[in-house]
Amino acid sequence: MIKTIKASKSEKILFIFLIILTVSAFSSFFLLKNKCLFIDNNDLKKLNFKNPDNIAVMNLECGNVIIELYPDISPKAVERFKTLIEKKMYDGSAFYKVVENTLVQAGDIEFGNIDYLDYSKIGSGKSGLGSLKSELSDDFEFTEGSVGFARSREFDTEDSEFFMTLKEIPIYQGEYTPLGKVKYGLEILKKIKTGNKAIYVLRPDYINTFRMLETN
Amino acid sequence: MKIIILFILIFQFSQVNADEIYNLIKIPNLEIYKLKNENNIRYLNAKGDFKIGVDDNIACNKTNQENLNTKFPTIERNIKRYNSKFLKKINLKYVVFCEGLFISNINTGGIPDNKNRTLILDINFNEKYFERMIHHEIFHMIQNSYEEDFNDQKFSLFNNSDFEYAECSTCSNRLNLDLYENTNGFLTEYSKSIPSEDMAEIFSFLMVNKNLIEEKIKNDPILNKKVNFIKLNISKIDENIL
Repeated sequence: MIKTIKASKSEKILFIFLIILTVSAFSSFFLLKNKCLFIDNNDLKKLNFKNPDNIAVMNLECGNVIIELYPDISPKAVERFKTLIEKKMYDGSAFYKVVENTLVQAGDIEFGNIDYLDYSKIGSGKSGLGSLKSELSDDFEFTEGSVGFARSREFDTEDSEFFMTLKEIPIYQGEYTPLGKVKYGLEILKKIKTGNKAIYVLRPDYINTFRMLETN
Repeated sequence: MKIIILFILIFQFSQVNADEIYNLIKIPNLEIYKLKNENNIRYLNAKGDFKIGVDDNIACNKTNQENLNTKFPTIERNIKRYNSKFLKKINLKYVVFCEGLFISNINTGGIPDNKNRTLILDINFNEKYFERMIHHEIFHMIQNSYEEDFNDQKFSLFNNSDFEYAECSTCSNRLNLDLYENTNGFLTEYSKSIPSEDMAEIFSFLMVNKNLIEEKIKNDPILNKKVNFIKLNISKIDENIL
């Protein structure tokens, strides 16, 4: 005859504790892996804009980043930016330069795309549309969420690369051509993969799509 | 081969200084000291020692905050004399403060860098010449931006035919910065080193003690020509500087 042994009270508590521990370990593994958790993806249907013509929507892994462009400040630069967006040239563009909690940079059309990423040349690519004259503003403050055209060390070398600031960078005022400001989705930008202590990111995050609101 | 290049790049990337000030002017370990100024100049401070240039030949140490706070009003007063338009023309936007500035192991008061629109100043430079040194270094930025107007050969012709400058500013022992009693074409011993230092000395004296120089040139025809040369060419850039 097999004698059934009843579990003691403390054994039952230990058993329940182990089950809870296993469940929480599994769930936290999957939840923590999802970097986009708890991030609002900015549903365009729920948002209204005063100047829809100047609203650009950048779709990233964690959702939409909504950018208002400022043609009044930098008309030529914004015109170029819109052209590149409308030609879908930013689609698949890598955030190859990411300084943690400071800025993210993308837009190398030639050497920084998901289909062709060349680390030996990244940052030097051209759009084929030529360089632009810098449109500097001593009044535009590079606060958190500012969007600006990147350039080489010299002025008047703006082409297609752009950056977005994740904090106020006062020293950039009057140094870079302003393009606009992030209206919604700054927290999405903060989730973009960084290169830890390195300035360039290996296996970077990409722009899924980048469209003007009216064509979205 | 591509894998080797990738490894080299990864290593190099990890060495890159991601600081936003470094991104602009290629000097590490700086912080903002004073950003908003009437003439749009920006003052930066070395919060740590730095080495820059070819083979790290330029080296300077971090500042003592108290020391900088004491000397800043003097620096600001002198740099305020240049308006924003003029500073833009000579490519000067950033003034970097540090202590113990050396270039190729030679102690110097300032290093102008037109390419990065930066003037590095050693705030511990000899107090006696400190204010003049600021204008002296600014002149080098002026000359770098207007090489044709401040042509060395043209300027050298003002000297007596038997006079010869040294090969370079540091390869002679003509280093004294005190004003000569009898000028005889040169304001200081350092003026005799090379033409650009001669011009910079004249400009700096004109900025800090114009009346004295006006007196000196009355009895010194060579110096008179040199001073007029500097005045004329500076006025082409901005009539209100001198």
